[in-house]
Amino acid sequence: MTKGHRLELDWSEHRGRGCLRVRGWTVTGFQQLEALAAAELSRRLVVLPNESLNELLGSGADFRAVQPIAGRFEFDRGSVYFLPRFPFLDGRCYSLLVDPAIGGQGAGRPEVWTIQRPASDGVPATDVVAIYPSADQLPVNQLKLYIHFSSPMSEGWVARGIQVRRADNAEPLKGVFLTMEPELWDPERRRLTLLLDPGRIKRGLAPNQEAGYPLIEGVPVIVTVATDFRDAAGRSLRTGAVRRYEIGQPVRLRVNPSDWRCSVPNAGSMDPLTISFDRPLDHALLQHSLGVNDAAGLPLAGRGCAGPGELSWCFQPESPWEEGQHQVVVDCRLEDLAGNSLVRVFDRDLRRAEDAPSEALRFAIDFTCPPPQLRQKING
Amino acid sequence: MTERDLAIAVGKYGLEVGTPGIKSVGPLAFGPEGILFVGDNVGAAIFAIDIGDRDLANQQREINVENLATPLAAYLGCSRDDILIRDMAVHPVSQNVYLSVMRGRGQAALPVLIKVGPDGTISDVPLEDVPFSQSLIEDAAAEDDPRLVSRDQLRTVTVTDMCYVDGLLLVAGTSNEEFSSTLRRIPFPFRGRTLTNSLEIFHVSHGRYETAAPIRTFVPYANNTSILASYTCTPVVQFSLRDLKSGTHLMGKTVAELGAHNRPLDIVSYVTGGEEFLLISNANHPLTKIACNDIDQQGPLTEPDRSLDERRDGPLSPTVGPPRQDLPHPGVRRLANLNGSHVLMLHEEEAGEIHLRSYDVATL
Repeated sequence: MTKGHRLELDWSEHRGRGCLRVRGWTVTGFQQLEALAAAELSRRLVVLPNESLNELLGSGADFRAVQPIAGRFEFDRGSVYFLPRFPFLDGRCYSLLVDPAIGGQGAGRPEVWTIQRPASDGVPATDVVAIYPSADQLPVNQLKLYIHFSSPMSEGWVARGIQVRRADNAEPLKGVFLTMEPELWDPERRRLTLLLDPGRIKRGLAPNQEAGYPLIEGVPVIVTVATDFRDAAGRSLRTGAVRRYEIGQPVRLRVNPSDWRCSVPNAGSMDPLTISFDRPLDHALLQHSLGVNDAAGLPLAGRGCAGPGELSWCFQPESPWEEGQHQVVVDCRLEDLAGNSLVRVFDRDLRRAEDAPSEALRFAIDFTCPPPQLRQKING
Repeated sequence: MTERDLAIAVGKYGLEVGTPGIKSVGPLAFGPEGILFVGDNVGAAIFAIDIGDRDLANQQREINVENLATPLAAYLGCSRDDILIRDMAVHPVSQNVYLSVMRGRGQAALPVLIKVGPDGTISDVPLEDVPFSQSLIEDAAAEDDPRLVSRDQLRTVTVTDMCYVDGLLLVAGTSNEEFSSTLRRIPFPFRGRTLTNSLEIFHVSHGRYETAAPIRTFVPYANNTSILASYTCTPVVQFSLRDLKSGTHLMGKTVAELGAHNRPLDIVSYVTGGEEFLLISNANHPLTKIACNDIDQQGPLTEPDRSLDERRDGPLSPTVGPPRQDLPHPGVRRLANLNGSHVLMLHEEEAGEIHLRSYDVATL
């Protein structure tokens, strides 16, 4: 039908939806198409992603039997509109196959018209904001790393984008991270949680017996985030990130707030309350595992934040401290770098009775804000 | 859907007609009267949707669709690389196959529920103006908590598997922060309180250590009085659901270990010749078959597995536990029981092509 006619394909809008517009039909051809029932129409006009077209051409199958893109055709003043059920993807090629019988007596292979979607802006704009832990040294049974990005990210790039190498000879360490499906992202897709393979951390399991810990005590490592990680818009990173860690002894002790030190502010002041830990704790959990209650046991308004190396936590109240007893409330799920929490040793030796898990949900540290000028220090 | 069907869905199960705000699709499970549960790990919610599948019972009892990836990509208007199949479930009556699919990547990613008919016909489940209800699964802080820090929404629970049993939706989840394993039991209709238990497992090897670990996949077991769950590295553990109170710590009985360097992907049970069997598909190991009778006779694996010490030259996979059989079916990603007579397997080839194949349980 289109012999001597050239169909014009462009990206357009119809009834408020993005669509493929096809113009340049002969009058007869257009009328013929308009008269067809939807089921028949979808066999005479077929829209395909180019990958599917290539497979069709390679297989020699009848195009009338091929699975088309889900969607529907509409007709308006000489134009045919294809409204896809799912939006066309940027940067991709799509093809329209036209039955040669439309508008004429033709038979055999369909006419093929191809059009490409414009590519999205590919200028990198996303950076790695932080890698946690921020401490310089990790225990050999380190359980998690967190990577923070400045923009929402795509899934599926962890294996390609993140590498751990020995700092001494640059050899990559293999099988460090547990493959997660789906990957562990925060709801905004800005923070990635990476689990070091727990099977290699748990003593006695076959992976630990065979391959040992994912890290090697005494061998520093370099963690790199490559720029070919992709953000949610499909762009590579503007800059990669590198962090070096020393690798120390394993930690297999419950987190015990009795080993912390509290620096208590004076009543009437706006000074922060500071808690110093005996070892670095998990950065993510520190964001919401600690809080302060007033004398009535109600949560005190303010902002908490983890200190350098995740070795401390500060609470900045919204209004001046009052005299009297307060409490630091600790969620017992708070973990250290090796996954030990207040109630559980991550990799527990059953012969150590003192490591038996407890059922506690919260732990409280009492403190009293002294009158002005009588600043005190107490153990938690 | 007829008005009568709609009235049933709305009245009996507390569904309301509207547009569920599904941000992503993950684990799937069928509930009563063909209601489909959909895990949304981005939205931190589980949706119960009446998908309106009123097709008659499929007498054919077998579904075989070769080369599904190509027509699926064409249907979705994308390339195969843009498709991520998250889970598979079979409608208990019509035996239509449902796939949770993410189409596209990043911010362009769309959640889609795909229906594959017995003849291979592909369609998608409309997600607008459908009867649905939802249950939130996040551990979010209370809205009225004045501590700014507590409003942080970073902690989420990633649902790894779901199963509906006797009015309860069982949900296994992994936190993206604390390393824990939680089994939620959510009463359906979504009106009651979620019951939560933390899970602990006992290691086989050397009988000396125990840890928490997230469940990858699980199946109801022993007339729904327990579940059999498989873990990342890779014990199979039985948890009793009898007399289970919320908030308690649940100690599992390790009944098998499937070996190192492996992730279990899916688990299904079937009955043939009056005997029940388990099939477990794995990321690196072959499809594994275990007789439930052997599991029942297997005491908890708490004794030291000396084979690890004695066979220094041999494979390190533990030899303790019930007998296992490796099946030759390659690349099995997902499993479903097809009305008892067949097991449906979703095969994935390295090149990305996928097939749905049914196997008579007598031949497995």
